[in-house]
Amino acid sequence: MSNMALICTVCFVAVAAFISMKQKLGLEKEILIGTFRSAVQLLFIGYVLHFVFETSHPAFIVIIILCMILVAAWNAGAKAKHVRGIRSRIAIALACTEGVTMAILLGFRIISPTPQYIIPVSGIIVGSSMIVCGLLLNHMKREMETARGEMEMLLALGATEKQAIHSSLRRSVRASMIPTIDGMKTVGLVQLPGMMTGMIVAGADPVEAVRYQILIMFVLASSAAMTAMVLSLISYRLWFAKDARLLPLQPAEKP
Amino acid sequence: MQLKLNDISKSKFDSQNQWLFRGITAEIGPNDRIALIGGSGQGKSTLLRILSLLEPFDGGILQLDGQSSSASNPQSWRKKVTYVAQKPVMRSGSVGFNLRTVSELHNLPFQEELARRYMEAVGLGQTDWNKQAADLSGGEQQRLALVRSLMLDSQLLLLDEITSSLDPGSKQSVEKLLLEWVSGTANGANKAYVWITHDLEQARAICNQVWFMAEGCLLEKAETEGFFSNPATEQARQFIAGLQEERVEKQ
Repeated sequence: MSNMALICTVCFVAVAAFISMKQKLGLEKEILIGTFRSAVQLLFIGYVLHFVFETSHPAFIVIIILCMILVAAWNAGAKAKHVRGIRSRIAIALACTEGVTMAILLGFRIISPTPQYIIPVSGIIVGSSMIVCGLLLNHMKREMETARGEMEMLLALGATEKQAIHSSLRRSVRASMIPTIDGMKTVGLVQLPGMMTGMIVAGADPVEAVRYQILIMFVLASSAAMTAMVLSLISYRLWFAKDARLLPLQPAEKP
Repeated sequence: MQLKLNDISKSKFDSQNQWLFRGITAEIGPNDRIALIGGSGQGKSTLLRILSLLEPFDGGILQLDGQSSSASNPQSWRKKVTYVAQKPVMRSGSVGFNLRTVSELHNLPFQEELARRYMEAVGLGQTDWNKQAADLSGGEQQRLALVRSLMLDSQLLLLDEITSSLDPGSKQSVEKLLLEWVSGTANGANKAYVWITHDLEQARAICNQVWFMAEGCLLEKAETEGFFSNPATEQARQFIAGLQEERVEKQ
């Protein structure tokens, strides 16, 4: 894409800003910040990737993946800030998922061990797993309100934390995986995934692009399941105080 | 079984500087049948929830058989000191599933005979165990929740207005069952209960002691008869008179 064409893409943002002004949505400032940030962040990562691909040093790959995991953990953890230690648990869950998935992908030589493959695929794994974590935590937060009575009743009957929270945890894990599974059912019919589209635009054979997309879909399903499982297992205790009481309810967030 | 409350205090939920109640010192021993009474908002439920370690407290020491709450395993504490909430919470599933809760949680064989006996005693002998628990009426749920807790065979029951949704007949059968229950033993130990009630008749019928909460503390602890015939404080006198008036109006 030429520089001129790139600059012209700003007109899409102008449409959004124009609508916001016309409809008095008050989003102009947000749109401006969003535009600026996405342009700067993407250009920055473009140059970083350019550099990493050239040097091809494993240390850079590891650093980039670690950064992805940390940012994702920080972001998803904002959903349950009051739960102390949740961000480190999310980071562990993401690292487990990324580690296992990459080990399989590289071990069976499904993708070649070069940064060109490892970094984008890691981004997809960590990014979608982050969304799964966010959904899981959102759902757990709701469960802590709606199923509080049931959990307390079980605790009163001498249940352990795990027994008391089990049903809620199961419902939350399910809820966090459903979007990924639904996505698998409609992919190709409703949405054409970004990676596949990107490959086709860049001149790849559509069938080859589809083969990679199939790989990605299956990786997403397994990583959603793995992340939700691991996170729920290592974090359920955080919803309790140390003497097996439920954490107090948080005051409602101001809109 | 000996539960000791030593200077227990609890601050209000919304402002940490104000006390909901403070300085509660008392003892609950075997065969105690205690009615916990007082106006709304005095923290009666909160006190019971503290006693079963479902709620933290802000000062004082709680000891069960000489062991402090902070050094105890909360699960085994709650198995001995069991709170029964006013609002019954049913697990989604059948009546039978709810009755099996305790045996499932603690990996114990289900005592079906005992469950049937208790269900019979609270007037639910005819209830179909395959029925969804959520489809029971409020009063039926309240009784089922009580039976579910009784299956635990704890030593001290903390009963939070557990007959509030019951008709007079069911109320009496629950009272009768609990009087029978408290005179038995749990694993060789004598039992006791603390019962929050707003019903003076009930308090007289079921209890040998009255704890009266007012003005942020446990204002009176007395034998039931003595308390009702000759309360020591003006607040208790007014409270009893208020409840009696209410009853006369209802009648």
